[in-house]
Amino acid sequence: MSEEKKVIISAKDVEVKFRVRDKYLTAIRNVSLDLYEGETFAIVGESGSGKSVFTKTFTGMLESNGMISNGSVMFHGTDLTKLKKDKDWEGIRGAKIATIFQDPMTSLNPIRTIGFQITEVIEKHQKVSKTEAKKQAIEMMERVGIPDAANRFDEYPFQYSGGMRQRIVIAIALSCHPEILICDEPTTALDVTIQAQIIDLIRSLQKELGFTTLYITHDLGVVANVADRVGVMYGGQIIEYGTVEEIFFDPRHPYTWALLSSLPQIGEKGKDLYYITGTPPSLFNKIKGDAFAPRNEHALNIDFQEEPPFFQVSDTHFAKTWLLDPRAPKVEKPEEICDLHEKIQRMTDKGGAFYVE
Amino acid sequence: MSNENREVILSIKHVDITFEVGHKKKLVAVKDANFDIYKGETFALVGESGSGKTTLGRAIMRINPCSAGEIEFEGKRISGKISKEEDRNVVRNIQMIFQDPAASLNERATIDYCVSEGLYNFHLYKDEAERVAKVDKALEDVGLLPEHKSRYPHEFSGGQRQRVGIARAMIMEPKFIVADEPISALDVSIRAQVLNLMNKLKVERNLTYLFIAHDLSVVRFIADRIAVIHHGEIVEIAESETLFEYPIHPYTIALLSTVPMPDPLVEKNRKHIVYDPSQLDQSGEAREMRELRPGHFVYCTSKEFADYEEKITKMEQERNEKAL
Amino acid sequence: MMEEKNVNSANNENDLFGFAAFDKYESEHIAAPQYSYWKSVWRTFIKNKFTVCVAIVMLILVGFSLIQPSISGYDPLIAPNVTDESMRFQQPSREHIFGTDNVGNEVFDVVWAGARNSIIISFVCTFINMVIGITVGAVWGFSKKMDKWMIEVYNVVSNVPFLLLAMILSYVMGAGMGTLIFVMCVTDWIFVAFFIRTQTMIIRDREYNLASKCLGTSTWTMIKNNILPYLISVIMTYIARMIPSLISYEVFLSYMGLGLGVTKASLGRMISIYTSYMNGYPHLFWIPVTVLAMLSISLYIVGQRLADAADPRTHM
Repeated sequence: MSEEKKVIISAKDVEVKFRVRDKYLTAIRNVSLDLYEGETFAIVGESGSGKSVFTKTFTGMLESNGMISNGSVMFHGTDLTKLKKDKDWEGIRGAKIATIFQDPMTSLNPIRTIGFQITEVIEKHQKVSKTEAKKQAIEMMERVGIPDAANRFDEYPFQYSGGMRQRIVIAIALSCHPEILICDEPTTALDVTIQAQIIDLIRSLQKELGFTTLYITHDLGVVANVADRVGVMYGGQIIEYGTVEEIFFDPRHPYTWALLSSLPQIGEKGKDLYYITGTPPSLFNKIKGDAFAPRNEHALNIDFQEEPPFFQVSDTHFAKTWLLDPRAPKVEKPEEICDLHEKIQRMTDKGGAFYVE
Repeated sequence: MSNENREVILSIKHVDITFEVGHKKKLVAVKDANFDIYKGETFALVGESGSGKTTLGRAIMRINPCSAGEIEFEGKRISGKISKEEDRNVVRNIQMIFQDPAASLNERATIDYCVSEGLYNFHLYKDEAERVAKVDKALEDVGLLPEHKSRYPHEFSGGQRQRVGIARAMIMEPKFIVADEPISALDVSIRAQVLNLMNKLKVERNLTYLFIAHDLSVVRFIADRIAVIHHGEIVEIAESETLFEYPIHPYTIALLSTVPMPDPLVEKNRKHIVYDPSQLDQSGEAREMRELRPGHFVYCTSKEFADYEEKITKMEQERNEKAL
Repeated sequence: MMEEKNVNSANNENDLFGFAAFDKYESEHIAAPQYSYWKSVWRTFIKNKFTVCVAIVMLILVGFSLIQPSISGYDPLIAPNVTDESMRFQQPSREHIFGTDNVGNEVFDVVWAGARNSIIISFVCTFINMVIGITVGAVWGFSKKMDKWMIEVYNVVSNVPFLLLAMILSYVMGAGMGTLIFVMCVTDWIFVAFFIRTQTMIIRDREYNLASKCLGTSTWTMIKNNILPYLISVIMTYIARMIPSLISYEVFLSYMGLGLGVTKASLGRMISIYTSYMNGYPHLFWIPVTVLAMLSISLYIVGQRLADAADPRTHM
């Protein structure tokens, strides 16, 4: 990213705690992140890595037993962590920062017509007349690819297929021209072919409307497709971030290595896939040192004692691992992901395989 | 590889599966499925949700009845009414690995019971000591520890639970395994381990897998042959390499174009192809499985077949030129 | 790759940046203490102080009812003080804890003897209803064929007017404990069976049951190991409602003269006799009613709390 890029939202040292049965557990441990205007940033992580929780601090949507115990999220000069009441969030949540969730049905009201639900949002945020709102709503429906939008305006969510519902959710989210769109696993619940269509749709809308997108996903394939920059999350922290090319072609954190090299896409038939043992850490336990250390075959003694700082790899690429310390022994990334690009090109070059045109 | 002299272990013969939905309405889940699975191979059935892939897998397990056609295992019919003895034979030889390990294990039973359940049912042990030894061995084979036996399923992680599910199936020493999306409910970092395990067990025990999946990327790694199913119809069957190099049915091509590749340079220039059934031959001629190349079958009309033939010949020529 | 120890400055640093030992199986161990279902039920149950208090009250009431009558030797046919006018209608005092009644008997003795019979009858009936109901209900829930005709049986039996049946049966069979138990079981089990059938149907097609089917598990084993363990909590709730309601039934039937004969002590008949002295000696009415209420309520609360504790979602 070039220097002139403008930061649109800036999270600093965010820490989120949840109160569960008289015990506090820390879900997010001092995460900082700057989003630049117009970019697509993807957060990758497994379930329980805290990727959803972290982005919920941008819209004040934490569950009632959760709280931001430290840090700040600056957006247009306002610290979002200080906003408590729903009234304070008016004009930000849903208007300037909109979210698309995994399951479209959670965001749609099953007993209201699709048209009503879109116009409601437009009327509320743009203060326009009913007829004007309806006109805009139908326009928006056409834009997200609903065929015959005018006639389907008065239908109910159950009359739409899963993919169509997700398009409607996108239409609602974009109807007040947000500056930031958070996509929380927007395609996980959908079929692969529909998934591709939704991803394409979000991308083309972004080009047209110029909003900033924050993607949350566990699927590295999706990340490669959509992202300009990537942050990898593990155990409530971002452990590596950089441009998408840096993360895929020059990853530095052993967890990123593991994620990439265990993908079946790059596995060779007849050979074992690279894999890591164990499971992601439970947030109920206090994490000492590097959260990934117990599963890391390259773990150093220091990993169990002290949390690594971020080491700078390039202007845009940072990784939180002691392996980058000059005192650390040299460890090469797994063979499977060396020359990843050449490997995949060979795979796709053949013609039919994975069909690249 | 010629298929004629390979031993067929399971044969699906023109199977239809329909469900009654409400009043006399019928839902056709699987239509005219017709293929053989050879001994020792991994046969993948790939399709989206609602395509009928799970329904077909469950018909093999005798959970869903076939409304037409037959399923044969080792030359004997196993669909419809069969004797009790034959039923027990099927249970012992065909086992299933379920998609969601959290839902498919009895939460109120210990791992010891979960893994031993089949042994108890068929009394496959001489004495308690032999049963314990068998359970320990089964757990060891999937990388779990004997100390896990007294634990309950909810104490395990997703990957561990799925391995319990595999151990429970393997302890029966089956010949054939129906694996219904065995990794799609697991965390990404754990999937590789389960896939490796399945491959290892297959080689060690000369197993045959029917691997049901929605994800072609996984299938490329694990399958020998692949069948693509769409809306209850199997549209294309081919050897794994062939299907990836010479996909011919428009649906297969669309499906392949959506497999996400972990490479931003490739992925950003990717075009996702949308399947449009209206481009197919609309003459109304009944479709059937036709063999385009040896071992490569497509579900099509005669007109479509001619088109495919032309297309695949062109593809082959292009590849040959490239190779030169 | 593993043992590539580079030359580093200080010794301890060398140590810090050396590779840690890596054990593949390390991550497979489960650190949490062993889980046991019944232990967890118990732990959850005793965690709440109020529950423990109610449970103690219940134990005292039930224990007293079961033991005290055999010490006092109360027999409704013998009224030793019936000739002694001064012994009648005594107010509660130190000598007569609950006072005395119209025939000079200690109310204290009469109440516990009556409570004992009520408790025995309700416990026995609950046990019979549950055993028959659960067995029939579980099979009913599993078998689609059986469901067709059992539903008809249920429709007929559940519509038989209970009071009419109780009256006819007690005339035909004569009043007594056996009759009363029979009356309270003859139709009640089918409600239990219907309840268990519905519960069974809900979990019958869950994936773990399909898995058991694929392993060749028989229906009976599945009922025993896959279905009933999941129903412990709801069965407990049912029992918690049934025991107090059967106690009330017994009291009600005896009050109406359809229950126990004159040879047996009964809270119901006692209340019905004492009601006539309500104006002059209200304690005669209020004492048995209070004991009855405390017994029912404590049994109900303990049962409910046990049912809650039996739900594994509350274990943590």
